[in-house]
Amino acid sequence: MERFELRLQDFSLDDDQQAVREGFGDFFTKEVPSSRVRDAEPLGFDADLWQRLVAMGATSMALPEAAGGDDATLVDLVLVAEELGKVVAPVPLVSHVVASRLLARAGGAAELLTAAAGGERIVTLALQPVVGSNRQLVPDAAVSRDVLAWSADGLALHTLAEPAAHVPNQGSTPLAWFDPAAGERTVLASGPEAEALFRAAVAEWKLLTAAALVGLADSALNLGVEFAKSRRTLGVSIGSLQGVAFPLADVVTEIAGARNLTYKAAWYASHEPGARPDLPLAAFVQAAHAATESAWVSAHTQGGLGFTVEADISLFFLRAKGWSVLGGDPGADRRQVAAALLASV
Amino acid sequence: MDFGTVDLTPEQEAFQREVRAVLGEIMTEEVHEHERRTGDGFNEGVHLALGSRGWLFPAWPVEDGGAGLDRVCQRILALEIARHQVPTITMGTTNLVWAAVELSCDPELTAELKPEVAAGRVRFCLGYSDPEGGSDIAGATLRAVRDGDEWVLNGSKLWTTGAHNCQYTFLLTRTDPEAPKHKGLTMFLVPLDAPGVEIQAIRTYGGERTNAVYYTDVHVADRYRMGEVNGGWATLQGPLSAEHGAGRPDDGLSDIAMFMGTREFERAIDAAARWAKRTSRPDGTLVADDPAFLDRLGRLAVSTEASWVTPAAMGRTKSSLSFIAGIAELMDMVGPEAVLAHGAEGAIEGGEIDFAHRFAQGTATYGGTTEVFKGMIAQHVLGLPRLNLPGSKQWVR
Ligand SMILES: Cc1cc2nc3c(=O)[nH]c(=O)nc-3n(C[C@H](O)[C@H](O)[C@H](O)COP(=O)(O)OP(=O)(O)OC[C@H]3O[C@@H](n4cnc5c(N)ncnc54)[C@H](O)[C@@H]3O)c2cc1C
Repeated sequence: MERFELRLQDFSLDDDQQAVREGFGDFFTKEVPSSRVRDAEPLGFDADLWQRLVAMGATSMALPEAAGGDDATLVDLVLVAEELGKVVAPVPLVSHVVASRLLARAGGAAELLTAAAGGERIVTLALQPVVGSNRQLVPDAAVSRDVLAWSADGLALHTLAEPAAHVPNQGSTPLAWFDPAAGERTVLASGPEAEALFRAAVAEWKLLTAAALVGLADSALNLGVEFAKSRRTLGVSIGSLQGVAFPLADVVTEIAGARNLTYKAAWYASHEPGARPDLPLAAFVQAAHAATESAWVSAHTQGGLGFTVEADISLFFLRAKGWSVLGGDPGADRRQVAAALLASV
Repeated sequence: MDFGTVDLTPEQEAFQREVRAVLGEIMTEEVHEHERRTGDGFNEGVHLALGSRGWLFPAWPVEDGGAGLDRVCQRILALEIARHQVPTITMGTTNLVWAAVELSCDPELTAELKPEVAAGRVRFCLGYSDPEGGSDIAGATLRAVRDGDEWVLNGSKLWTTGAHNCQYTFLLTRTDPEAPKHKGLTMFLVPLDAPGVEIQAIRTYGGERTNAVYYTDVHVADRYRMGEVNGGWATLQGPLSAEHGAGRPDDGLSDIAMFMGTREFERAIDAAARWAKRTSRPDGTLVADDPAFLDRLGRLAVSTEASWVTPAAMGRTKSSLSFIAGIAELMDMVGPEAVLAHGAEGAIEGGEIDFAHRFAQGTATYGGTTEVFKGMIAQHVLGLPRLNLPGSKQWVR
C-alpha cells in the first residue's frame, strides 16, 4: 500500500452537508423522545414517524433522479444515519435505503422503486448469501414484504404476500426469519455482476449501520457524562475521579475515530468506488466496538441505576448490540480488511 | 470533505521529484546505521543538508533561510521525510522552540539565531521534565536565582532528548518558590556549552538516547531569559500546545490526528503481512490463508485506520495505546522470528517487528503521558470537572 500518498484529509462538512445534518438532527431530536422509542417496542417500528421521515425526503434523497431521487451521496446518508442513531429511532431506514439503491442498480421494476422512494413499500436485504433452503434472520423483514437476496443463482427479489412474523429480540428491531422458498421470486441479475452488486450493498448497509452506531454511542456516552457531572461521592463529583473519567475519555476517543472512519469510507465509496473497499468494513468494526464500549461504560458509570429499564441508557445498551450484531460477526469483516492489506503489500 | 489526491502544478511535481532525489541520496545506509547505533533522532550531515536547502523551516521565505514552500510543497516534503525515515527528533524540538523564541526572546538574540537555526547549525532541545516528575510540568523545581545581570541555575533535568546535539535548551525553571505553582516559573534559552552544564546519556530499550542534564552554578545572562520573570507558564504555552497539536491549518494538508508511532506500527504490520504471504505452517498451509491470523491482522489494520483519523489529542492516546496493544499481539502472531534483531540471520525485514515492539512503549510516555492526555480529554472534550489535588494550584514538594 502506498502509505505516503499525497492526499487531502479534509473531514469538514460543506454547507449542504451541514444542512442535512442539522435538518435531520433537529427532526429526530424533536420527533423522537425516548418515550416514543419505548412506545414502539417490541416491534421497533413507528409508522407515523416513518411517514414523517419519508416526508423529509429520507427514503428518496439518495436514489438516482430517474428513480425519483435527488442523487444525494453516501456522505449525506451517513450524516442522516448518525442522527437517527442518536435517538435510536424506530424506523427501518438503513435497510430500506440500501435495498432501494440496490433495486435501482439492479434494474428493479419502476413501480416498486417508486413505491419504495415514497416509503409506501418497505424493502430490505438479506445480508448473508442464500445457501440451499437455509433460512436466515433479516433486519426489518417483519415490516417488509420485499426482500432482496443473493444466491449462486443470482440476485433475486422475493415478494411475499405479507411481511414475515416478527421475532422478539434484544434490540427491539423488526427482525424476522426469511425463508428463501417463500413468496414470488424474480431474478434481477446473475453472474459476477449480481454478486458485486450484492457485496456493495452489504458494505453500504454496514457503513450506514456504522454511522447509526456512532450516533447511538454518542448519545449513550452523553448520558454517562451528564450523570458523572452531577453524581457525588466522598464529597467530590464522580466525574473528577480518574477511574470514572478515563473510561469515558477512552469511549469518546473511540467514537471520534469511528465517526471519521464512516466519513472517510463514505467519501471513498462515492468518489473513488473500488479504491478502498476495506473502509466500510473497517468503519463497521470500529463503530460496533465503540457502541459496545460506550453503552457498557455509560451504563456502569450510572451504577445500579444504569442497570434498570427505567434508565434511558437501557435503550442504548440493548440496541448497541441489538443493531450491530445483525451484520454478523465483525471478525468476518476483519478478515476482509486483512485480505485487502495482504493484497496491497 | 475531501480525501482526494492533489493535482500538482508542474513546479510542485518538479519539487516532489527533487525531494525524492535529494533524500534518496542523503539517506544512505550509513545514516540508518548511525541512527540504529546512536538512537539520537538526529544526524548532523542530514540536518545540515536539509538546512542548506531551506527545508528545516520550509515555510520561511528564502531570504530568511527557508524555502518559501507553499502548503502543498510543505506536505510533499513532510511525507517524503517520513517515507525516507529521516531522523527528525531534534528537527522537531528546534521547530517547537523557535515559535517561542520569536515571541519571547530578546529581538537581537532572535536576529542572531535565525539564520543559524535555518541553516541547521543551531539546534534546540526541550528542558521541561524534572527528575521528580514530568507530568506535573508546572511543578518544576530547577532553581534560577537572579544575580545582577545574570541568573544562576542549580538543579537537574531528565529526558532532555538531543541535548548532546544541541546548542541551547529551552529550560523551565523555578524563580519564585513562594508563589502559586504556575506563577513562579521562568523560561530561559540556556547555552549548553556554559560552564556547569553536564550532560549524561540515558538509553531506552526503544533504542533512543536521551539525557540527564545537571546544572551546577550555571551563569546565564539575562538576555537569554524568555518572556517575563515568573511569566514562564505563558511563554511555555505556545510550544506546549503546538506539541499537543494545536494551530495546524485545517486546509486538509495537516494530519488530523496527533499520532504517535503509527508509522512504525504500519511498517511492522506490513512486514508481518509480507512474511505471512511467504511463510508456511508446519502442516504446509500458508500463514496468510489462516483465518485466525487474518482476523487478528484485520483488528490491527482497523486500529491503525482509526488512529489516523482520530482527531488531535484523542488521536494521541488512540494511536499510542493501540500500537502498544497491537504490536504485542503481532509478536505473538509471528512467533519467535519476531524477536530477531536487525542483522540477525532470518530477521524479518531488518528486525522491523522487534524494533517496533520495543519502540512502542515510549510513545505512551513522552510528549505527555496517555494518562495526562486522558485527563485533558475528560476535561476539555467531555467537560468533566477536574479533580482538585493538593498540588493543583500550589507548588507542593
Ligand atoms: C524517550 C523519552 C524522551 C523524552 N524526551 C523529553 C524531552 O526532550 N524533554 C522533556 O522535557 N521531557 C522529555 N521526556 C520526558 C517525558 O515528557 C516524561 O517522561 C513524561 O512527561 C512523564 O514524566 P515522568 O517520566 O517523570 O513520570 P511521572 O510524571 O512521574 O509519571 C509516572 C506515572 O504516573 C502517571 N501520572 C502522573 N501524573 C498523573 C496524573 N495527574 N494523573 C494520572 N496519572 C498520572 C503517569 O502517566 C505515569 O504513568 C522524555 C521521556 C522519554 C521516555
